[in-house]
Amino acid sequence: MNNISKTIVLIMGIFLFCGETNAQDYSNYAQISQRINALSKSYPALVRAKSLTKTFGGKDIWMLTIGSGQTDQKPAIAVFGGVEGSHLLGTELALGFAEKLLNASSQDSIKALLANNTFYVFPNMSPDATEQYFSQSRYARSSNARPTDDDRDGKINEDPFEDLNKDGKISWVRVEDATGKYKSNPEDPRSMILADPNKGETGKYLLLSEGLDNDKDGNFNEDGEGGVHFNKNMSYAYPNFIPGSGEHMVSENENRALLDKLFELFNIHSVITFGPYNNLSAPVIFNAPAVAKRVISGYYEADAKTNAQVSELYNKITGLKDAPKSSPTGGDFAQWAYYHYGRNSFSTPGWWVPKAKVDTARKEKDLKIEDQVSNYLRWAKSEKIEGSFVEWQKIDHPDFPGKNVELGGIDPFVLLNPPYKLVEGLVKKHYEFILELSKKLPSVDLINIKKEKLGDGLTRVTATIINNGSMATQTKVGERSYWVKKISVKLIPSANQSIISGRKNQVIDAIEGKGNITLTWLIKGSGKLSIDAGSPTSGSKSIELAL
Amino acid sequence: MKKFIKNISLTLPMLVIGTALFAQQPEQIMKASGSPANPKVPMSWNRYYDYAAITEVCKKLAKAYPDLVKVESMGKSFMGKEMWVMTISDFKTGDPSKKPAMYIDGNIHSNEIQGSEFALYTAWYLAESFADTRHIQELLADKTFYIAPTINPDARDNFIHAANNANSPRSGMIPVDNDRDGAINEDGYDDLDGDGHIVFMRRKNPNGRFKADQDDPRRMISVGVDQQGEYELLGYEGIDNDGDGDVNEDGEGFYDPNRDWAWNWQPNYVQSGAYKYPFSLPENRSIADFVMKHPNIAGGQSYHNNGGMILRGPGALEDLDTYNSQDVQVYDALGKKGEELIPGYKYLVVYKDLYSVFGGELDWFYGGRGIYTFSNELWTNFLMYNKAGDANSQASQYNFDRDLLFNDAFVNWKAFKHPQYGDIEIGGFKKSFGRLHPGFLLESDAHRNMSFTLYHAYHTPKLSVEEISEKDLGGGLKEITAVIANKRLMPTHSSQDLKYKIEVPDMISLTGPKVIAGMIVNNRDLNITTEQKNDAQNIRVPNIPGNSTVTVRWIVQNAGKYSVKVDSKKGGIVSRSN
Repeated sequence: MNNISKTIVLIMGIFLFCGETNAQDYSNYAQISQRINALSKSYPALVRAKSLTKTFGGKDIWMLTIGSGQTDQKPAIAVFGGVEGSHLLGTELALGFAEKLLNASSQDSIKALLANNTFYVFPNMSPDATEQYFSQSRYARSSNARPTDDDRDGKINEDPFEDLNKDGKISWVRVEDATGKYKSNPEDPRSMILADPNKGETGKYLLLSEGLDNDKDGNFNEDGEGGVHFNKNMSYAYPNFIPGSGEHMVSENENRALLDKLFELFNIHSVITFGPYNNLSAPVIFNAPAVAKRVISGYYEADAKTNAQVSELYNKITGLKDAPKSSPTGGDFAQWAYYHYGRNSFSTPGWWVPKAKVDTARKEKDLKIEDQVSNYLRWAKSEKIEGSFVEWQKIDHPDFPGKNVELGGIDPFVLLNPPYKLVEGLVKKHYEFILELSKKLPSVDLINIKKEKLGDGLTRVTATIINNGSMATQTKVGERSYWVKKISVKLIPSANQSIISGRKNQVIDAIEGKGNITLTWLIKGSGKLSIDAGSPTSGSKSIELAL
Repeated sequence: MKKFIKNISLTLPMLVIGTALFAQQPEQIMKASGSPANPKVPMSWNRYYDYAAITEVCKKLAKAYPDLVKVESMGKSFMGKEMWVMTISDFKTGDPSKKPAMYIDGNIHSNEIQGSEFALYTAWYLAESFADTRHIQELLADKTFYIAPTINPDARDNFIHAANNANSPRSGMIPVDNDRDGAINEDGYDDLDGDGHIVFMRRKNPNGRFKADQDDPRRMISVGVDQQGEYELLGYEGIDNDGDGDVNEDGEGFYDPNRDWAWNWQPNYVQSGAYKYPFSLPENRSIADFVMKHPNIAGGQSYHNNGGMILRGPGALEDLDTYNSQDVQVYDALGKKGEELIPGYKYLVVYKDLYSVFGGELDWFYGGRGIYTFSNELWTNFLMYNKAGDANSQASQYNFDRDLLFNDAFVNWKAFKHPQYGDIEIGGFKKSFGRLHPGFLLESDAHRNMSFTLYHAYHTPKLSVEEISEKDLGGGLKEITAVIANKRLMPTHSSQDLKYKIEVPDMISLTGPKVIAGMIVNNRDLNITTEQKNDAQNIRVPNIPGNSTVTVRWIVQNAGKYSVKVDSKKGGIVSRSN
């Protein structure tokens, strides 16, 4: 058995290695691990793969460090996928970025990039959850494998989904009932929408997920398998005691191991999250009262400005339009990266269902009712995507004897993840975006070094520290955080010199994009002298001069 | 010198054996009321114990009282020390993990060491008094105590064995780059004169703003705005080791283990002292895991110093909504009793009476677990002369040291040649004074604080099936009504617990007859009930309030013999048969 499974893994590995771009579907855990292994084998000088920890379900949390030389000393971008387990695209975008970058590493421009900067890629933070996509009972899952009492009734995992029609996926159940709050969307009767009593509308259906009320508590499928969501377990705006948030902040192996690692990586300047929250299509808006509070709930003005610049770059390069409005959910990773990690945090789902075009040949009219399902169905038809909707079919449901019960509805995953054939194009766009972003990273240099002889062995030394990048050396919020290093400037005299004025060691606050600061010292004595300036997020520079 | 020390340590064990041989015999002793007269584990409660000594005492207690005391480790500290916790209960009267429990710890701040002695005294007192004190027997029959004398063992030993002042270190021992210059712990205090104490530096300076107090020249007092001074104060003993123009700015720590707890945790730029993320400190993480594995913990107590305070949350104004009026009633009843038991101590609320704190231990215990928890700030200057509000308490400290401690608490000023400040003098109070109890007051205050925690533990829920009655409904159906009483102050679920359903509901089960229906009786006289349709045999009630009752009812076929059992995580397990 062991031998057989080994052989399978080997065969799969070979298949993948040859046919990487021919993949027909998203990669499962084993395939992701294979792709990571393949990268490590092909580019041993440029990439290191490390497992940070194992999840409750026993799966590795992979981290790729991409760069040359002393990777932890260079301004870095960290890229995350799988922060939301149901968002398979995120993992593809993150790992796809790493693959494209390394495949291009023989080009001079990429060689230079990897000499100056480091990329950390975390392809999947929710491997327990994403595996549900590949299972015999597919549903959009974000929880890890820890057994939890989601409805806090003392029983664990007692009311899961059931695949009643055995079609391999969890769909929807609608029950004709006068107490129901749902009705058919008149623009596309397949889709169920909430009736609005204020407009005199009456609901006709109860809408439930596919399954039984196993514990007879009146709620359907409220306490199934798992678990804690990676993206609900972080410490910023943490939602206490809701299903998926865990027993307390940062309770899970994957969250803790990641943070332990990130707090060691002082060189991370910006974080890119491929996840549900979107501050790249439209940036965070500066809101003065939100930063005037003790516990800030908005971006500092300078950081909002950076976000706006990067958002402009994102829209230009990816050409993605009509993004749905997005607000972060609390306990999420992208907000944590800004508020509690003090770094620039950029987040995008990478794709959303495009606004469906009207097919005049079919005499279609504009969709006036806001309903992502009807929009999806129209778009899917125009793209000739089939099999992502289960037509409503009558079933017998033991919890509703004698009632008109139908099973059907939109498939899990399809609203968050594009058909796989679109993934390659999206990977390319996001790869290009991250490359352009990396050109904006700060880079510290020492210029305009002046030596003024004041007589009798006394010299005034002047140096300007300039940031050649177009982003600030650190965020405004990072300036306040203990876990973001400041720029440290050291003047190292030789033995026969003494510093008459100016500090031997000092730290200075952020230097904005293309900004600079000038320092002076009075030095008595002659001989060699060196000045070091830099910080992990902005690189460092050392010069030597003779007095 | 070294040889001499070796000789002493050789003689010491012999001395101890000698004492044991010549110890007073039981017949030579009259018991002072309320204190163990012939303890199996002899202790002196007028000195402080390091980690090794605490470890030994815990193990000795467990060995001497195997039916009362068990010791285990909650996990390892950063430096690998075991985090001891004692389980204390009458093991013969039931599973200690099913009895309502009181959790007590000390020393979260490493310089606030006497909390460990107070916690240890409690463990010792419970074990040593059990044989002859009825109240303790009853208490340990009903309740369990989880006592962790030190939850910061690494830095406790640093405080005791290294040169320190009364405030250092407050942190644990994980190295941190306090000044963010990339170097770690490169500029801490320096014991310039090598005497083992970190005290103050002063320098003669006609433009200084301080002078010696005429009443006690050891004391520096500031001069009036219209006066000339004679000294300037230069802070705690140290030099600018890293040449950045700051003295002692990057020593041990600084992070604060009491800003690391996962309730409304905030990062260090909001809450100074916060480490990386909630429970990023291994010591606290182990405690949190222990507490979650022991849902029977209903009361909590942590010991700090100083100021004579019995504190409850909220720690921060932003968390005010967490504490609602029903829970505040419970806190008030306990806290006011505390003020009575411990003279000089005031019952206060952290955020408004002290200072605002995010991520404190007591907030997680209450907010995150629904456990009624106090933090006592041990020692107050009141205890020096049993007088409140001494306007000039610093002067009293000098008087107290002189008249009652015979100058043992002070390092006298002496000259020193400082590499950066030149001719200075070094002197001041030792680390053992100002925040820590002097020896002769330690046991008395430990006892008073313990009695407060025993009162707290006493008022964790005590459940009983108070009444079972039966009514014939005809047609073979009977109605069984059970009244469950809680005879103590605390409910089985605090309001905070109920708000978030932190702990599972209490379950009242009927075994024996076939159950047709089950219900909670909201008003027995008017017959108002709420039916539980599913699993009617096991009625789930959200709460059994303090000093109150809950009534449930079943409709059964063929009643016969039956029993009613109550299973409550924080209220214990009780049952009664007809």
